[in-house]
Amino acid sequence: MISQVFILSSQGDHLIYKDFRGEAGKDSINMFYEMVTSLSGAQPPVVMRNKNLNFIHVRHSGLYWVVSTKDNPSPFTIIEFLNRLAALTKDYCGSLSEKSVRMNFALIYELLDEMVDYGYIQTTSTDILKNFIQTEAVTSKPFSLFDLSNVGLFGAETQQSKVAPSAAASRPIVASHGEQGGKNEIFVDVVERLSVVIGSNGVLMKADVEGEIRVKCYLPTCSEMRIGLNEEFSIGKSQLRGYGAAVRVDECSFHQAVKLDEFDTYRILKVCPSQGEQTLMQYQLSDELPCAPPFRLFPTVEKDYGSRYSNDMWLIFIGRIVAINVSVTVPVPKGSLSLSQELSSPEQSAELQPRSKAVLWTIPRFPGGAQLSAVFKVEVPRLSSASLLEVGPISMSFELPKYTCTGLQVRFLRLSPTQPGLSQRWVRYVTHSDSYTIRI
Amino acid sequence: MSSSSAFNDEKGGSSSVGEPEYGHDPASGGIFSSDYKRHDDLKEMLDSNKDSLKLEAMKRIVAMVARGKNASDLFPAVVKNVACKNIEVKKLVYVYLVRYAEEQQDLALLSISTFQRGLKDPNQLIRASALRVLSSIRVTIIVPIMMLAIKEAASDMSPYVRKTAAHAIPKLYSLDPEQKDQLIEVIEKLLADKTTLVAGSVVMAFEEVCPERIELIHKNYRKLCNLLIDVEEWGQVVIINMLTRYARTQFLNPNINESLLEEGGEKEFYASDDDEDDEEKKAEAAALAKRKPYVMDPDHRLLLRNTKPLLQSRNAAVVMAVAQLYFHLAPKAEVGVIAKALVRLLRSHSEVQYVVLQNVATMTIKRRGMFEPHLKSFYIRSTDPTQIKILKLEVLTNLASETNISTILREFQTYIKSMDKDFVAATIEAIGRCATNIGEVRDTCLNGLVQLLSNRDELVVAESVVVIKKLLQMQPEQHSEIIKHMAKLIDNIQVPMARASILWLIGEYCEHVPKIAPDVLRKMAKTFTNEEDIVKLQILNLAAKLYLTNSKQTKLLTQYVLNLAKYDQNYDIRDRARFIRQLIVPTDKSGALSKYAKKLFLALKPAPVLESPFKDRDHFQLGSLSHLLNTKAGGYQELPEWPDSAPDPSVRNVEVPEWSKCTSRKERKEKKVEKPFYSDSEGESGPTESADSESDSGSRSESDSEQTGSGSESEESVEESQSEEEEDEEEEKMKKKKKVDKSQPKKSESAESKIASEIQFLLSTSVAPTSSPQVTPVNNFLSSSLASDLEGLSLTDTVLAPTTIAPSASVRMYELLHRITGEGLGVEYCFNRQAFSPDPHMVAVQIHFTNNTSCETKNLHIEEPKLQSGMRIKEFPEIDMLPAGESVSVVMGIDFCDSTQAANFQLCTHTRKFFVSIQPPVGELMTPIFLTENEFKKEQTGHN
Repeated sequence: MISQVFILSSQGDHLIYKDFRGEAGKDSINMFYEMVTSLSGAQPPVVMRNKNLNFIHVRHSGLYWVVSTKDNPSPFTIIEFLNRLAALTKDYCGSLSEKSVRMNFALIYELLDEMVDYGYIQTTSTDILKNFIQTEAVTSKPFSLFDLSNVGLFGAETQQSKVAPSAAASRPIVASHGEQGGKNEIFVDVVERLSVVIGSNGVLMKADVEGEIRVKCYLPTCSEMRIGLNEEFSIGKSQLRGYGAAVRVDECSFHQAVKLDEFDTYRILKVCPSQGEQTLMQYQLSDELPCAPPFRLFPTVEKDYGSRYSNDMWLIFIGRIVAINVSVTVPVPKGSLSLSQELSSPEQSAELQPRSKAVLWTIPRFPGGAQLSAVFKVEVPRLSSASLLEVGPISMSFELPKYTCTGLQVRFLRLSPTQPGLSQRWVRYVTHSDSYTIRI
Repeated sequence: MSSSSAFNDEKGGSSSVGEPEYGHDPASGGIFSSDYKRHDDLKEMLDSNKDSLKLEAMKRIVAMVARGKNASDLFPAVVKNVACKNIEVKKLVYVYLVRYAEEQQDLALLSISTFQRGLKDPNQLIRASALRVLSSIRVTIIVPIMMLAIKEAASDMSPYVRKTAAHAIPKLYSLDPEQKDQLIEVIEKLLADKTTLVAGSVVMAFEEVCPERIELIHKNYRKLCNLLIDVEEWGQVVIINMLTRYARTQFLNPNINESLLEEGGEKEFYASDDDEDDEEKKAEAAALAKRKPYVMDPDHRLLLRNTKPLLQSRNAAVVMAVAQLYFHLAPKAEVGVIAKALVRLLRSHSEVQYVVLQNVATMTIKRRGMFEPHLKSFYIRSTDPTQIKILKLEVLTNLASETNISTILREFQTYIKSMDKDFVAATIEAIGRCATNIGEVRDTCLNGLVQLLSNRDELVVAESVVVIKKLLQMQPEQHSEIIKHMAKLIDNIQVPMARASILWLIGEYCEHVPKIAPDVLRKMAKTFTNEEDIVKLQILNLAAKLYLTNSKQTKLLTQYVLNLAKYDQNYDIRDRARFIRQLIVPTDKSGALSKYAKKLFLALKPAPVLESPFKDRDHFQLGSLSHLLNTKAGGYQELPEWPDSAPDPSVRNVEVPEWSKCTSRKERKEKKVEKPFYSDSEGESGPTESADSESDSGSRSESDSEQTGSGSESEESVEESQSEEEEDEEEEKMKKKKKVDKSQPKKSESAESKIASEIQFLLSTSVAPTSSPQVTPVNNFLSSSLASDLEGLSLTDTVLAPTTIAPSASVRMYELLHRITGEGLGVEYCFNRQAFSPDPHMVAVQIHFTNNTSCETKNLHIEEPKLQSGMRIKEFPEIDMLPAGESVSVVMGIDFCDSTQAANFQLCTHTRKFFVSIQPPVGELMTPIFLTENEFKKEQTGHN
């Protein structure tokens, strides 16, 4: 089972080190770090082996979360445990960063002590652990109501418009004693990730949506919560009702705490959320989008005179919402020297990144229905028609706040019995690009 | 658990403390601050009598520990506080103690008495944490104390404490392996625990301390299966893995019959170890097919059924554990269910994806069909990390077949444009593998690869060359054009591996390109000194081959190259040059070998097989670390092979005390509903006769004859078989009772009521929950004749010795051999419910032969019984002759060992043999027995 657990910063600083079985020496940390850094590849393998000591690690927020073992446990158990540890740390410390881990190491050490006994995982449930943990979390910045700048949607960094106070969703779950900031708040997020492949002829080749409904709950006492989804929500093709614009998903799965007795008729999820962050429901929709893919791109690649070629692009955003943080990555041939660009508005920018052999075109804000165009002229020595073949598929990343691709909406969010005092309920929607590829 | 927040209750002092200043670490107070001084102030704080100061000090100390700083010199100061009343301080002291106890053994002993006191605390959380810390102190002297504490905690009221006890077992074991035997006793005890909290932990202990004692699981197997779904997730993983191993030793391979009949790759796989020719194999397969079809052990089915819902778990570890269980244990037809669950895991973190794909890659080699419908899920996304892309490629390649190859190739085409060069190289290799595996697309692939040769990226070209080389080796004749094209490339390609491949190709097939080959050699001779080693070796090879085929043009060139190589820095190359020179250049004392030089160099080489790197992975248990690493990790336990014949399944039977049986009716019901799932014995669903239904049928005479048997055990199954019919029969029974009431002449009141009450009692227990007793004044269970018989006896408890009652009923006939399959011989059997006198443990089976043919049948007898372990058969005496149209009945005895497993044997005539099997309905395996009230009570106390 687990011999040691340690958390390293990306520079290799020891943040947390705990030995459970005394099997492996202390130098294993350095051994691990050397192995990780000596690999030049983009990502080191999840499991590494040194003599008879195995390291399993995951990365969260730029930190290495590592378990070393001499045994033969299921690697899934370890990976799942590390993910849970990271999630719990986030729950307890508010946010996950080198700084917050540094400041809360006593807390994390205590957490580890309760979670793992002699290398065996005992429990990872917040509810149970709450009873044992004595140390209080230290938050990095004091909570202030007036701090209404950009909102960090948990799990999804966004620049969403001002809907909820910024630090609200990134404070520790377990309210500190005697702190007045313990507000009764509950956040329900509908997060969708979109992956699309558009062929060179403009035909949609593949489209997948993966979505989830997440709840982050700060309510001290758990009461029943009812979340109403669209009534026309249907699962699978067989359930389609009538001809209306149904919100359809192919498959969905629920958190075990969700009660579904009203789901079939009224599409209501009933749940008693425990404190902390949970994913209530996950769903997928493949191959068929209810709406057209949000972005269309019309690229042309032409050889200019001499050693230049030009790449004209029209980018159209369909929809009535605003997309933010849009970036388009256009691969360029090897050895590209310079780039001259014509962009349609000044806030956009484009730069040539020789290392990744791509032009990165960023558009901070993209209103719905707009069309943008860009012309890139790239200087490539020894340009041949073959090198133009290297101008490969264009990939995009973006974020669509207040929008879901499937059309899933939360109709209502009720708490019963109603919480005494003020309880705030927030519902947020966001769609991310997971992988949005346009082939040329 | 969550409700009892004992630790929080006692919180108090902490609120007054200001936030500790973690911002700057107390331990890193600059170079000039001396160590002792800093610790002094901590010691002072610990010695103070204010809890808040102590807490503050402890927090700082724990912070030091957490950072890996040495805080051992504070041990004496800290250990004093172990008895501190403040629960927060205590908790942190525990954390500290566990860390340093091993280093400071003597001082650690000071704290032991506190823990011993803690073990007696009324608060379960304190008891548990005292045990946890006590067992974590790795000091050999306290082994006896720990042993005692564990034993006590194992019978604690609180399941949480018992769970902690289970966790303490491996700790003690690692501290002192001598305690193993005692610990196994504790494990055995805890295995019998019925709470879900304990189950996971004790199986963890079992796996660490005594995984070889598989027999400890027998009695708990069914319980573990049933509890599994409620065990917490980490426990589930361990239990499932353990049960996989258990099932491999206890059940038969569900695919045993199919494995030999399988087509394609799998056949090769299974048959690879025997060298028999196909004919024999077919015969064998046919014989297998003829044999009785495999019947899955109900317990095996139970395991599969109870783990299936866990595929929905949100814990990836649980999903994978179930997936590997299905992969290793389930019949082929059912394995498909795991594919969907595994594909769902692909949407998880990239680390999880990585491990899932590794396992999927192994599975796809053995069972391709499983994942074919999910082909699209393995398409590569531009955002995937390289290692995941490569694994996905592996899976796609394994999944490629004639039907989907065109889509896969189209997908591959786009991958080649990717910016990730490692990935592109892997894609090209994957194309090569597809081309070798699927003959139809070989030419298409080859053309595609040749086009890639004009790619500007050197790596792409190099990889293509290597793959083309392998492909060409399969059919070089048609492709001299390609070889020529590649010969031209040698000027441009710089990657050594690719250059070497081209040279090898030209050398190997120099007969196809007779004009170009010498020219290439000429060019290479010029650059020989600047080449990489592998290229040099290939130049030498090329020279040798050309010398042998075309010595006129290349003799001088070869000499030149050999001379260059003679003075090379690398000894391999010098060696090779010397070797080649001796072999090919004729000298006066050239050895015998030079005659064969041509044969040596230009032998037909077998085409390389492009194989999946996951080919040999499947001998590791899926989902284990060893599988991932492809080497044995420490403590890896081989998954045992299936046994040839199943061990006795009855070891898993658990004797349930009768009272608890009656109360657990609901569970029983559930079981019942599931039953048709695995038992296909018709007898059970058919109208089996329960003892109480037909008292006034004519077969009263039988009721006198005694049937012996194991009464106490059989009661359990009586109930099972009957509860089904009860509902229907109850009404009927009531009516009859009334009838009987009226029709029966009045017997002596007292006697009758006495009997009635006894019978009533008997009924209400053995026929579990029957109709409410108050409405059964006289039970028709007792036939009137028996009643009068009993009447004659004096009705005292002492006299009513245990007699058995043979149920009287019209027996049902089952077909053993239909007259058509039996070629005119029809055989039926029934359980005649008579005692089988030669052996009281056997069930009497009456067999009724009918000869429907026009000629007589001779020598009817039984041969080759194939029985589950423990079963026995007493054959009937051979029937010498059965004339045409006649029929005859014989009685044989079978000891079914109280299981419902079928008894298989051959029924032989003088000409033919027939495979038959008799499967008993549960109700036929027992005899009813008569008990007086007192005896019954006595029996019960015995059970409790």
